[in-house]
Amino acid sequence: MSEAKPKIILRTEGFPDQRSIKTYVDKAEGYTAVRKVLGGLSREQVIEEVKQSGLRGRGGAGFLTGLKWSFVPKDMPGPKYLICNNDESEPGTFKDRYICTVNPHQIIEGMIIAAYAIGANKGYIYTRWEFQEEIGYLETAIKEAYEAGFLGKNLFGSGFDFELDHYSGAGAYICGEETGLISSLEGKKGQPKVKPPFPAVSGYLGRPTIVNNTETLANVPWIINHGAKAFRQWGTEKSPGTKLFSISGALNKPGVYEVPLGYPFASLLNDEGGGMQAGRSLKALIPGGASAPVLTPTECEGLTMDYEAMAQRGTMLGSGAVMIIDDRQSIAELLKVTIEFFAHESCGQCTPCREGTGWLNNIMDGILDRSAKPDNIERLRTVSRNMGGKTICALSDACAMPVMAFVQKFSDELQAYLAAGSGSHSK
Amino acid sequence: MSQESQVTQLPKETITFNLNDRDITVPKGTTVMEAAHRNNVYIPHFCWHPGLSIAGVCRFCLVKVDNRPKLEIACNLQATPGMKVSTLLPEVKEAHKWALEFHLVNHPLDCPICDQAGECKLQDFYMEVGKYKSEMDRPKVLKPKALNVGSELVLDTERCILCDRCVRFEQEVTKTGALGIFNRGDRAIVGTFPDKKIEHNYQDNLVDICPVGAFTSRDFRFKQRVWFLKDKPAVCPGCSTGCHVNVYAKPEVRTYYRVKPRESAVNSFWMCDTGRKTYKHLNQDQRLRFPVATDSAGKRKRVSTAEAVASLVAQLRSVAVQDVALLVSPQYTCEEYAAFFDFFVKKLGVTKVFQWREPTEKLEEFDGLLYRGDHNPNTFGLSEALAKVGLPKDVKNGFDDLAHSGAKLVIALAPEIGFQFPSLDSQFQRLSELPFVSVWTTSAAAYNVQGFKHLLPLKGFAEKRGSFLNYQGKVGELAHPFPAAVDDAHDVVEVVTAVADVWAHAL
Repeated sequence: MSEAKPKIILRTEGFPDQRSIKTYVDKAEGYTAVRKVLGGLSREQVIEEVKQSGLRGRGGAGFLTGLKWSFVPKDMPGPKYLICNNDESEPGTFKDRYICTVNPHQIIEGMIIAAYAIGANKGYIYTRWEFQEEIGYLETAIKEAYEAGFLGKNLFGSGFDFELDHYSGAGAYICGEETGLISSLEGKKGQPKVKPPFPAVSGYLGRPTIVNNTETLANVPWIINHGAKAFRQWGTEKSPGTKLFSISGALNKPGVYEVPLGYPFASLLNDEGGGMQAGRSLKALIPGGASAPVLTPTECEGLTMDYEAMAQRGTMLGSGAVMIIDDRQSIAELLKVTIEFFAHESCGQCTPCREGTGWLNNIMDGILDRSAKPDNIERLRTVSRNMGGKTICALSDACAMPVMAFVQKFSDELQAYLAAGSGSHSK
Repeated sequence: MSQESQVTQLPKETITFNLNDRDITVPKGTTVMEAAHRNNVYIPHFCWHPGLSIAGVCRFCLVKVDNRPKLEIACNLQATPGMKVSTLLPEVKEAHKWALEFHLVNHPLDCPICDQAGECKLQDFYMEVGKYKSEMDRPKVLKPKALNVGSELVLDTERCILCDRCVRFEQEVTKTGALGIFNRGDRAIVGTFPDKKIEHNYQDNLVDICPVGAFTSRDFRFKQRVWFLKDKPAVCPGCSTGCHVNVYAKPEVRTYYRVKPRESAVNSFWMCDTGRKTYKHLNQDQRLRFPVATDSAGKRKRVSTAEAVASLVAQLRSVAVQDVALLVSPQYTCEEYAAFFDFFVKKLGVTKVFQWREPTEKLEEFDGLLYRGDHNPNTFGLSEALAKVGLPKDVKNGFDDLAHSGAKLVIALAPEIGFQFPSLDSQFQRLSELPFVSVWTTSAAAYNVQGFKHLLPLKGFAEKRGSFLNYQGKVGELAHPFPAAVDDAHDVVEVVTAVADVWAHAL
């Protein structure tokens, strides 16, 4: 079992007819974990097993999944909801869509188990609108699961009911934030809700709701089948298990790879990713999606792919979106598209984010057309510093953190760009 | 409104927490913002409003809680026992500076032409917590201006700071949901839905709750700089709800400009647009400016108050008391009714007393919020006053009865708020056909009725002391009068006192 490159999430990858319920059931222990759970485990036992496994949310924040589930009030009468956050919208991330492509049933099975654990009888998969193909895969999978009797009433004779629907928003980044997602699912404008109350107590339609990332839920069946201890054989003490990484950039083999957490970055780059393309060298690394602060090649030395190592270097593992920045890329242009993205996606409720992201974008316009005053480069940091930690959701921080890192680490290149145009190949 | 339910609530469990080194005890569940608000600790804010739900979006009311890593917003922070909160630490002050800076990034700073100037929260906070030197040196985002979003309103989305108060007001108070925030990020704008406008009778509340100059009042726009205005508390005379209000005037030029609601258990924070128009009749161009009497030759002429009173007393002496009738509208104060009935009913023995009401009124109407079908502020007080002198207290329009009563001398307390009496012109006309009517009124309209032989100018509601009893019998006080806009104007108590005096001396 302790192979070097274990497959938990992508274990049907490359199988013929990999998405079908038959493949999952026949070749990948499909729907055996849910039988085990509904055949005799208590809710507390399920939550405890997931807690013991140390599974952390794979959407970006890395919060302990079992702990999150335990926040749902046990004895509260009335409906509770489970939502699969499949809105994967962090720039650079494309791992959840790949799970939908490889094995959507694993998500469904994970959801049934999670729903049982929190006492929800209704679930939704909320998918990013742009994933039209994957929406089709999910809808087919849901249909198959209903036909097989794995969804609906009295599952496996246990008396437990679970209905599952699919929903898609209009394609806003902020609908990947759990309360923004809930607003969208409620038919409202997709904007995060002020907390407290937290969704585990008052979420979708004001009812207790758990929102979990697709990859997180896809881990659950394996953990139930093989136990927390087996899960912990991979990864580190605080980052157990495997993780999907979406690697992009000037590599020979960009793509989605499943490796144990704590995996060396150098191996990920050179083995899985096939190394840099000929003639390109690593200029910078964005290790966890557009909101993760950038690392320099020096900082990448000895880097391992886990939550702790990233935190030590002042950045984050995020959603596992590894973006390789090569020597031909302009930091000014990269920073501009990063900021423009957040300025475009800010929902606009909280003033520091609404005005801050727009202001930063405004300054970047000035840097790109060289109308900005030189002190505007340092101002990017001042504005960012004052946007952080002040808003309802993390979008403001998600924009501020990378900006501060870019300006701190590539100040010279930005200054030079503004002064003369060096560092740019497109101006 | 909601305040009524608060009165009946049982005393709650309380907790004590510490705000700026001061222990404060509040009911359990109170937010730090509410606690601060009630204890005179001011925490800067835009989006929080005591009459609306919590939005938590302006991010201005940041405070520091001991042992918590991040600053938190006071409006959504429940005070818990022993919690130590500071609004004074340097990091909090720095956060407030920047919160304001972000609000000003795309604000047009057009204060010199903005009606909100002088009562603008952006200006106030700029002085109190501002950074003074902005770091914004880029072109600003431009947005639509001077939008017609309702009959009473003009909207400037560039001045708007997107605090969401107006949106919540439309959702929670009028329940019309007429406003939304469209688009995202710094392109977000407040507005109405396509081809729709705000249509209710509470539009000007949006101007009140808008902390900046985004919503301005069509009526007040460009009329006067607010720092030249004086405001005095009063009670709205526009209907039987009796909203507590402030009247804004420039007394040195004897001009009234607007009426705004004043927080009270009666009206919470709101009032209707109809009530806001009750300042207009107070201005000189609407007023009866001097007493009028008719000489023996039948010629109407301007007289002094003393002459007018003397001529009225002479008329009173010339008729038998049973030929005297009183016609009383429900728009005067309890104190005025008391003086009026004390003299004419108790002392002189007048028995013909009629209520002057609008024949088309529908007393049972109510818009569900504040505005009632009884468009008089003191129907309740008039009934009480009538009962006190042994007369029937039923609410009844006695205008026709008066016309057929055969009275030879009528003293009429005319309705003050003429626009609430659509039949007033025709009623004036009918009255003027009676043998002798002394009309006591604020209104210039009475002067234009040639048949009226005797007119006495009265003070308006903002110019006198007294009280109204609203539809529930709750007292609404007029205690802070402006000087009358018309020199010769008196309230009914003063006129009756003068009449009684002359009557007594003439004996």
